[in-house]
Amino acid sequence: MFANFRLSLTWLHTWFGLVLGFVLMVAFFFGSMSVFDREIDRWSLPETRIAAQPMPSFDHILAQRFAQMTEPEAEQRAAAEKRVTQPLPAQLTASNWNAYTTHRDPVLLTYVGFAVPHSTLPDDTIYAEQTIDPRDGHALHRDQLALGSGFFYPMHFSLHLEWHDIGYWIVGLSAMAMLAALVSGVVMHRKIFREFFTFRPERNPLRSTLDLHNLTGVVALPFHFLWALSGALIFVGIYFPVVGAMMQPVVEAHEHEEALHSGLDHDPSGKPGTLASVDAMVAVAKAHWAGKGMPGEVGFLSVNHVGNSNAYVSIYRDSTDRVASAEGLHFAGATGKVLFEDPPDGPVTTVNAFLVGMHLQQFRHWTLRWLIFIGGIVSCICIATGFIFFVEKRKTVHARQGRAGSRWVDALAVTTVTGMIAATLFVLVANRVLPESLADRDLWQKSAFWGAWLVLLLHAMWRSSALREARRSKAWAEQTWIIAALALAAPLLNALTTGDHLGKTLSAGYWPVAGVDLMLLLTAGIAFVTARRLQRSTTTDDLPVAQEPEHA
Amino acid sequence: MPDTVWTIAALLSAELGMAWLAQAMDVHWRQVRGDAPRPVSRALRPLGYAALIAALVLCLLANTATMAVLVWMMLLAVSAVSVAFVLSWRPRLLAWTWP
Repeated sequence: MFANFRLSLTWLHTWFGLVLGFVLMVAFFFGSMSVFDREIDRWSLPETRIAAQPMPSFDHILAQRFAQMTEPEAEQRAAAEKRVTQPLPAQLTASNWNAYTTHRDPVLLTYVGFAVPHSTLPDDTIYAEQTIDPRDGHALHRDQLALGSGFFYPMHFSLHLEWHDIGYWIVGLSAMAMLAALVSGVVMHRKIFREFFTFRPERNPLRSTLDLHNLTGVVALPFHFLWALSGALIFVGIYFPVVGAMMQPVVEAHEHEEALHSGLDHDPSGKPGTLASVDAMVAVAKAHWAGKGMPGEVGFLSVNHVGNSNAYVSIYRDSTDRVASAEGLHFAGATGKVLFEDPPDGPVTTVNAFLVGMHLQQFRHWTLRWLIFIGGIVSCICIATGFIFFVEKRKTVHARQGRAGSRWVDALAVTTVTGMIAATLFVLVANRVLPESLADRDLWQKSAFWGAWLVLLLHAMWRSSALREARRSKAWAEQTWIIAALALAAPLLNALTTGDHLGKTLSAGYWPVAGVDLMLLLTAGIAFVTARRLQRSTTTDDLPVAQEPEHA
Repeated sequence: MPDTVWTIAALLSAELGMAWLAQAMDVHWRQVRGDAPRPVSRALRPLGYAALIAALVLCLLANTATMAVLVWMMLLAVSAVSVAFVLSWRPRLLAWTWP
């Protein structure tokens, strides 16, 4: 089919890179945003702009909170009703209580699991969720949208396509394709070492775009590779649920075996029991960690088989100083005695835990957090320059032959590069402009994002008609101007609506909000310079392609 | 605080290493020095690699091993990109890295 191996890989790199590159652009851009998800949450939820809090007292705050959470989420209950053989009782009993926080969270996520009786699924559980203020236990408003962890982060791995989890499949497939694109890219690149440091912005657009594509691809190759790989690994469990379903008897036997070994019962006893002081168990756990030379706070706490005589409490350390998350300590609920400590991981689990931990980044290491953010942006530049190279290489021939291929690729490239950044900034602006009392405020914000993105897609398609004469689409410059305006408007609106202007947040050292504001202003500055250069070169139309704007 | 000092030292060491590795190549040496002769060309490459290894050691001083490897990997990427950009726009700046 192809004259040689290199040509066939070039074909693979070009077409897989193009088709799945649009998905990868979304995954990497929103992945980079998710590195600072908790900080974006603080920016978008002014009522939570307080310092990070440790896990609150269970006996004084959490126990009351959990006792009030008696109803699973309505949509989860509705879904469960379709998979039971007998009607669900009106009142389900809580089977587990859970609280989760990290060193960057001022608010606490609490959730209660309810076992679904007579379900066709094994261990079927539905949940009630509530975010609370850990200082006094009061519940936060429910239709608030945490833009970072509640919108950008799910976008990163699911594209918000929930139908049959198709978003997960698309993103996962793209991660695999990215591994193939990296390998084929390395094979295609003839001068990988000789041109390691080469970027020639003064050369023609085709050459300088390829230089930037190669540079960002090669120097960050370990980053691209490890993140695509670990991302794919995280979802292996979601991609292949069939293993769990087919092997269910084996899995259950294994779970019972493990329960026997650890003393943590797999099933509730059915006999009523009381819960000893969980705060005392937390104190024992903290002393245990300190004794091992790794003092720390509680990250995850759960009570299993709630109300039963064999209830047990699992306490996990907030793993701030390690890449992989820490092992748990399990206590008998009735007596508070230590039942079991998770053993250190075996080699395979250790590698897996390292890759997953690296990708999820719950550790406390601001240098590494910033470096990973920069890595994500470098990946975005690599993908974006790939699109631009595709168009630059073909546009003259396509224009002469009257073909529209490069035109539509250019329109989609504008939409996924400048359009996506502008829509992201638009949702920040919407977050500050929409009145606090608006019903379904979360839905309005999501609609603002999708609406803005759709409008920018139409704009890009309209402007791409310039490609018919092999000229550059004006959409690049115009959408970059939109980015500059929105990135400037967002911090101004934040100051106007909340009073938390930079002078205040910087002098108070409240970095989550100050950092987001500063990055927005930096984005506005870079977009302004880029837009001016793009506009100049679009009018003269023979100057080199300008750089991609940085994203915040 | 000493962790920050080690990390900054690691970044500088990585930048220096990448700058030396770049200047070990004829094309970049000429970008930086013009036509100046290159008397010590053989030393640049091993020194460059040594500086990158030194950066790893400095990362290990500041972090647990698993963190250190990640920090080092990312510092290498950042320093390589920044050296490439300096070569594109202000190549003469790199003359500082070698007497």
